[in-house]
Amino acid sequence: MHFMTFILRNLTRRPTRTALTILGLTVAVSSMIALLGITSNLLSSVLSSFERRGIDLVVQQAGKSSGVNSDFREYLVDEARKIPGVKQVDLAVVNLTDMTRESGNVEQVLIQGWRPDNFAFEDLNLISGRKFGWGERHVAILGKTLADNLKKKVGDTIVFSSDTRNVYEVIGIIHSNIVFEDGSAIVPLEDARILTHSQVTAFSVRVNKSSLDSADAEVDAVRKKIDALRDPEDPSVGLEARTPADYVSSLTHLKMIRAISWLISVIAVVIGVIGLLNTMAMSVLERTQEIGILRAVGWPPFRVIRMILGEATIFSLAAATLGTIGAAGGMYLLTLSPKVNGFIEGGLSPAVIAEGFAITIMIGLIGGVYPAVRAARLLPTEAIRHD
Amino acid sequence: MTEDLQEYLLYADGVHKSYPDGRVHALNGVSLGVRDTEFVAITGPSGCGKSTLLNLLGALDRPDSGEIYFRGEPLSTNRNLDAFRARQMGFVFQSFFLLPTLTALENIQVPMFEGERLSSHERKKKAEELLELVGLSGRAQHRSSQLSVGERQRVALARALANDPALLLADEPTGNLDSDNAARVLDLLATLRLERKLSLLIVTHSIEVAERADRIIRMKDGRVLEDSAAVSSKAEVR
Repeated sequence: MHFMTFILRNLTRRPTRTALTILGLTVAVSSMIALLGITSNLLSSVLSSFERRGIDLVVQQAGKSSGVNSDFREYLVDEARKIPGVKQVDLAVVNLTDMTRESGNVEQVLIQGWRPDNFAFEDLNLISGRKFGWGERHVAILGKTLADNLKKKVGDTIVFSSDTRNVYEVIGIIHSNIVFEDGSAIVPLEDARILTHSQVTAFSVRVNKSSLDSADAEVDAVRKKIDALRDPEDPSVGLEARTPADYVSSLTHLKMIRAISWLISVIAVVIGVIGLLNTMAMSVLERTQEIGILRAVGWPPFRVIRMILGEATIFSLAAATLGTIGAAGGMYLLTLSPKVNGFIEGGLSPAVIAEGFAITIMIGLIGGVYPAVRAARLLPTEAIRHD
Repeated sequence: MTEDLQEYLLYADGVHKSYPDGRVHALNGVSLGVRDTEFVAITGPSGCGKSTLLNLLGALDRPDSGEIYFRGEPLSTNRNLDAFRARQMGFVFQSFFLLPTLTALENIQVPMFEGERLSSHERKKKAEELLELVGLSGRAQHRSSQLSVGERQRVALARALANDPALLLADEPTGNLDSDNAARVLDLLATLRLERKLSLLIVTHSIEVAERADRIIRMKDGRVLEDSAAVSSKAEVR
């Protein structure tokens, strides 16, 4: 008999309690992994899109928490374009705007105002229809998720703002690797300016790089020059350029999502620890006499601790496995929900799974340590007499 | 004293034990010894300190004062009594205390985790031999709930022998058995004692058990009342 066999036998003694403990822990772990997964997917999809599009710097108004509340004049974009080393610049207006459904309900959707030569178009997969051209107005390209949610196809119309006269023709449906973009509408820059009352919310910069070794320094040199730009009409308005990685990690709403995910995860972890602690404490209490026998036949306290922690770890591993499956399934189901499928991306990265397993094993060890120490401190003579 | 100690496998010298509140003096200066391959029975009325003495002799507990020697070495200086118990002592209890989740074969292997280093295959093989020794080869895969009380005690006996101890301590080993099973267990103990050169120390109320011992130690109120050869003590036990 292996020591592990012995531990497993203890768990199968009370199958209902074992199953319920694993189930409880699985729910907690599943919530935690799903939240971590959603956050991670969000960050990585935004970051990977910047990388795929060859964007070296993302620029927004200095002192603003995100591109959405940033707003500055196009003058600054033109000035940035003149900086030596800048290869290409693409400006955009990104913000939430009202959209009136055919039922009359008004909802908010993310719109992006682009020019026809925006290099982000290179990365988009046009499923149907076409892009808009220079001078075209009141046309929209819908992300696939948004189009599916609204049941719109090329040739249909969509009403932005709550003014029903503000009708846009759907001229294309795109699929983007960024979950946000798939849930947004792309309209000509001038239309977006009117709808959002913004001039430019952000722009992306591609930098000329002479070699791989000097690339970081060249990007940094451009970044510093952009940071130094000021609007002569309002010198308080300046710019802040960041690398895509810095930009993504600085976004306040992403930070908040991450913080909320961790907060909920911590609550789930605490619930998991308490549940496991209760189960293990009960289990030790029920087996006091048996533990006394194990001590009597020569088991040292450390082996008793190993036994109890081994049981707790098996609970954790089972919960982590089932929790990962549950989280992946739950995330997939969420992506099917029209309410959130423009904002949630399914799938779990190996890093998130590893993080989930590590935290769950930690739950097991924390939940098991008190009962284990208590069991190990039992005196054999008293434990054997325990009724 | 040192020369005397060499004569004994286990020797208790003036052992005292009180329970935590200090009011109950379970043992008051008990001295006794067990020689190699000797069979000693401890008898006495309930509450006289028999089980407390067995616990101290089995290194399950430490005396408040006095000393216990094993092969002339004081146990008070032994820093690893767990390992000592695992390798030198075998325990048999009145209520068997088999682990309910394990089969008979697995129960016997439990002490082996702390005995000599054996692979799982070696542990299994040794447990099979012990099960055969107690006549229960056919019950290897049965759990304790599937065994009769007599069979359970024989499995417990096999478990006590798992690490080839020098001394087997038993607390009322036939207390829960009918007369047939009790006789069978006692026969087995006698055989094992001879074959494995075991010393036996048994706490018992049973005349039949005490009659088989080489010596009977009668206790009362935490003291040794009488320590005599079994033949001369049979009447006293009664």
